[in-house]
This record gives sequence, structure tokens and C-alpha cells, in this order.
Amino acid sequence: MSALRRNATIALAIARKDALAELRGRQAVGSTIFFAALVLLLFGFALGPDSRRLAEAAPGLLWLAIVFGGLLTVARLHQLEADDGALEQLALYPVDRRAAYAGKALAGAGAMLLLGGLLLPVVAILYGVPLGAAWLPLAVTVILGSVGFAAVGTAYAGLTVRMRAREVMLPLLMLPIVAPLLLAAVKATVAAVAGDPFGELGAWLQLLAGFDIVMLIAGAATYGFLLEE
Amino acid sequence: MPQTTIYVAPRLGGAHGSPPPAVDTDGLARLFGRSAALAGVSLRIEAGRTVALLGPNGAGKTTLLRILATAIRPSFGGLFIDGVDALRHPEIIRTRVAYLSHASGMYDDLTASENLRFAATMLGWSGAEVATVAERAIAEVGLAPVADDRVGTFSAGMRKRLALARLLVARPSLVLLDEPHAALDEDGMALVDRLLGLWHEFGITVVVASHQADRVVRAADATVRLHGGLVAEVSGSGVRAGALAPVIPSHATPLGTIR
Amino acid sequence: MKTRILGFAALLAVLAATVNGLFVVPADLNQGDAQRIMYVHVASAWLAYLSFGVTAMAGIGYLVRRDLRLDAIALAGAEVGVMFTAFAIWGGMMWGRPVWGVFWQWEDPRLTTTALLLALYAGYLLFRRLTDDPHRRAARAAVVGLIAAIDIPIVHFSVIWWRGLHQGPTIGDPGKILTPSAPPLFVLALMSMLAAFTLVWSYLMIRRYQLARTEWQIEEHGRLGRISAARRSFSTESVSEEAAP
Repeated sequence: MSALRRNATIALAIARKDALAELRGRQAVGSTIFFAALVLLLFGFALGPDSRRLAEAAPGLLWLAIVFGGLLTVARLHQLEADDGALEQLALYPVDRRAAYAGKALAGAGAMLLLGGLLLPVVAILYGVPLGAAWLPLAVTVILGSVGFAAVGTAYAGLTVRMRAREVMLPLLMLPIVAPLLLAAVKATVAAVAGDPFGELGAWLQLLAGFDIVMLIAGAATYGFLLEE
Repeated sequence: MPQTTIYVAPRLGGAHGSPPPAVDTDGLARLFGRSAALAGVSLRIEAGRTVALLGPNGAGKTTLLRILATAIRPSFGGLFIDGVDALRHPEIIRTRVAYLSHASGMYDDLTASENLRFAATMLGWSGAEVATVAERAIAEVGLAPVADDRVGTFSAGMRKRLALARLLVARPSLVLLDEPHAALDEDGMALVDRLLGLWHEFGITVVVASHQADRVVRAADATVRLHGGLVAEVSGSGVRAGALAPVIPSHATPLGTIR
Repeated sequence: MKTRILGFAALLAVLAATVNGLFVVPADLNQGDAQRIMYVHVASAWLAYLSFGVTAMAGIGYLVRRDLRLDAIALAGAEVGVMFTAFAIWGGMMWGRPVWGVFWQWEDPRLTTTALLLALYAGYLLFRRLTDDPHRRAARAAVVGLIAAIDIPIVHFSVIWWRGLHQGPTIGDPGKILTPSAPPLFVLALMSMLAAFTLVWSYLMIRRYQLARTEWQIEEHGRLGRISAARRSFSTESVSEEAAP
């Protein structure tokens, strides 16, 4: 079997394994999504009740909720490895580390997509933002944002999973890194919802794509070093 | 009882001549914070030998096994496995070593079958063989009735059996076992003994640490006793211990000489 | 000894450039004397970027060669870089207050980028402290340093585009100063301050690296000592060898 096919098999096997564990795992996925929705609700209390102000802030609040939920998501995907010492075994399998990274990042992106997708209707309802017409650019934005967050989140979660104070270390490292992702995703969302009056949607999506590519390459290149203890 | 299938890694460097030592360490030392888990272990283990690793708690058995498995790097010292520099080419070592650790290393939310099939894929099996090999291994260790149950529902003994099954899916030249008898009933321990015999029969080198000293010594060619991170005693055949490498008082390091 | 000469040279250069910047060079027509901060602010920012570039490169070097010296360089770069970044932000705020009326202006892309830079590398330094094992710490730090470094250009573009249509006030845009039509005195003042700061940077990097190297040597000495102690307390004398048949 060629190396590329083998790596693809490995990545898919890992992603599948993570997806199975996630879907069966004691409602952890549901809890994270519920948490993110709660965050959106609380933002309403913090910034409301002026519905116009909330509607204006909605894209930013949406992506903040995705980021917070995302932190929990990527942490969880590595925590499931740490629980019974599975991470040590994973590090010892004779597989290309880049394939292992790809598998975990794929699982992470999938989980983030689910999160983002489910939060969109919540935002639409809570903040009165009409999302239906712009569903395609919104979908692309959520996909690109999810991939980017998962790309760097997988690397950093792998890095912090065995560390002291990992619950605070992961956000501490992640938040500055994803600032441009947050910025671009919000601007793209704003543009999409408004029908792209200034023609800037394309530029923001390109920035997101650039972030994704750069972080995927960096993550794949360095994940091997993080798995070794 | 159908014959147990054991897969063996191919010999490195061709079939002629005597094989390199399975394990060749030189002054292995490992620190964890303030304590020295290993303080200089130099051992040479011939290929195909079964070695019992004994010693009190804290003697360094687990640390030594983890270093041999390339799960952690030593703080000092060198290590060659089957003639390959383990510190420079751990990825080669990982294709040839199977390691049973304290924790079973399974995913609780997956079934036994799914866990083993995942392991088989990771260990290089592909296609239809994945399921076949996994199923066979699960049957070998007596877990066939619970193959489709989630590992989260397993007892400690069942997890241990499953971890042993994972060893049967690998193709090693070196098997490292850290307390394989722990949490097992009499049947389970007999299974471990049987596997030890099979590995030996197939020429696979085994290093096994166990509190069931009598069982492993009986099954082993040689015994290595550790104490305080050092080799206290070696007996039997096929294992040689080196003299303590001196801790150089004037230690030349890349960052200058420590005096 | 050579380092000490470098230190004195750096000090003198900074004094000279400061005097030049404060008294010799004429004030800006629009912003008055406040504009003089630009010389220090811009120079600091550039050296911060240089420092973090060094951190990223040294980190990659460590991953390739596993040489802890490279990790010491990475650490020096991060600490010196954080210092220059903090200074740049402070300078930016001091400059912004008289010019804009406020200390902080979200629409200034350099200020926001620099703030994020500070967050990234302060996080790097905090994160380093949580790992004890030197090689593990060096490997993890290398990854963090690398990802932080490649994030910077993305941040740069994103905040510039963020400003978008409202061309807000910007301070310290070197483009405005380094145009061919800019008065040569301004350019000279900036360049001389930059040269002086670079000397300071070199001095600090060398000293910090030496300090890190000494710390490492002490740590290494301690580690070897613990191994010796373990051997000394080892009571059993007999190590029996038996040749293989």
C-alpha cells in the first residue's frame, strides 16, 4: 500500500474512532453545545435588551460562543486519550505523526462544524438576525472557521493535555492565536448577512483560508514532537 | 484448542550471521524532577531470550520498560534495540516493539472489537485482515463473548486481557510487559504464562516485570534484579550487565564544562 | 569583556540618539513634540519582531538538533522581545494620548498587533514555567513559538483590513516617514535610534543567553549530582555477570 494511502487510512481510522467515542461518550458533545448556547443567552442579558444593538453584535457573539465551545471541544478530544493511558499507546503506534494529526484535526473540525451549525439558528432566534438568505456564505465561513480552529486547537490540545494547569493553559495559548480567525470570521459573517454591500466577503474568506492552510501545515509538522513525552 | 497465531517482525540486516542483541543499553539514567528513577543501567540482552525483571517498588522497572518502548527518552545514556539506535530512530523501533503498560490504554466508549480493530489498523493491518486478526486475538484471550460490549463496562481483569490481545495483533521482535499478571485470575495468569511460552518459541525477545516472581522466573532464561534505579543482580543466560559508567565529574556539555 | 564594550557602546549610542531625537531634530509640523516618541516606538517594535523571529528560528533549530543551547536562545529572544513589545505599546499609548486624545485606538493596526504580540509571548513565557523537564519544555516551547510567529503576519493583514474603509488616524506608519520626500533629518533620526536600539538588543540577548546557559549548567550539575547520590546510596555490591553459553 502506498504511503499516501496508508496515511489516509490512518487519519480516517483515527477520525472515525474519535467520532465514535464522541457520539457515544456520555453526552459530552451535547453538554458543550448546550454550554455555548447558554453563553449566547447570557450575552443577551449582558448586552440587551435593545434588540437593535444585539442584532448588530450578533456575529461577534456567535463567534465568541463558537470559540468558547471550541476550546472545550478540542480539549475533550485529547482528554479521551488521556483517560486510560490511550495517548501513550497512540504515540507508540508505528504511524506517520502527520496522519495522526490529520485524523484528530479532522475529528475536531467535524465537532466544531456541528457546534457552529447548531448555534446559527440559536443566534437567529435570540438576536433576531435573518440568516436564511445568506446560508451559503455563512456555511463556508463556518467551515473555514471550524477547520482553522481545529487545526491549531488540535496541536495545542495535544501539547497541553499532559501539562499542569492545562484547563487554563489551553485558552491562554489559543485565544491570542485565534484572534485573527475570530476577526475574519466575524467580518465575513457581517458581510454575508448584509448581502456583502462592500464586496469584502471574498477577502475575509481568503484570510480564513490562509489561516487554515498555514495552521494545518504547522500542526502537521509539529504534532509528532508533541506526542513524544 | 486452535493454534494461537503469533506474528513476528522480520529480522533486520538479513538472515546470515548472528542477530544483534535485542537490547543493548549503556548507562541509561532517567530523572523525574528531583528523583533518579534510573541511575545508570547497562544491559545487553541476546535476541530471543525471555528476561524476568524484578525488584521492589520504585526500583525503576516501569521506567526501564518505558524507555525500551521509546515511550519516554532517557535523561542520559544510550540505547540500541535490534542494533538500531533507539534515540535517533524511534520510529523504526516502534514497528518492532509491543508494550503492555500498567494502564490498558483502551477507549472506554468503544467496544472491545472496535478497540482491537483500531489497534490492528494502527499496527499495519489493512482491509479484511483487520477484522479477522482482531477477532482472532479477542478469541485467544477468552473475550469473544464480550467482544461487542463497551470497554467501559469491563473489569480490570478483562481490560488486561484485551491489552494482551492487542499484543497478539502486533508483529514484534521485542515484547515488553509491565505487570501482566496484575488484576488477573488464575485462568488469566495461565494465559499470560502460555503467551510467554509462545513468544519464546517464536524467538521473540521478552522482558517482563512482574510481582509474581516465581511464575516469571520459571518462564525466563534470565533474571535481572533492579534496586534504586540500578542493576543489583543478573542471573541466568543471555543477559550481561555492564559496569557502572562513571558520572564524569568534569562533565562536558554543549553549554560548557560543568566542574 | 567584549560584551561589556558592546554594552557601553549601546548605552552611548542610545544617549546620542535620544539627544538627537529630543533636541536636535525639528518637531513635526502636525503633531509637535509628541511625534518624537515615534523614534523610540518604531525602533522598539521592529526589535520586538526581530526577537520573536529569533525565538521561532531557535525553536525550529532545537527540534532539529535537540541542542538545549538553541532553547536558551529562544528563551532569551522571548524575554527581550516581551520587554521591547511592552515598551513599544507604552510608547504607542504615550504618543496616542496627545495626538488622538485617548490612550487606545482600536483602529490603529500597529497598536493592536503589538498588543496581540505581547499576549502571545507573555503566554509563551508563562507556559514555559509549567514544564520542568528541560527537553520537553524546549520541544513544547518550540512549537508554541513557531505557531505564534506564523500567526503574526496573519494578524497584521487582518487588522489592516479591519480598518478597511474608515481610514482612521495612524501613528508611526513608517511608510509616511520613509518616503523619498520625507525630510532626511527625520529618517536619519529614526535610523540612528534603530541602530542604537539594535546594539542594546544585541547586548541584552547575549547577556540573557549567558544567564540561561549558566542556569542550565547549574541544573545539569544538579541532575548529575542526583544520579551520583542514587549510586552512592546503592548498598548492594554484587553485580553478577554470567557469560551466555
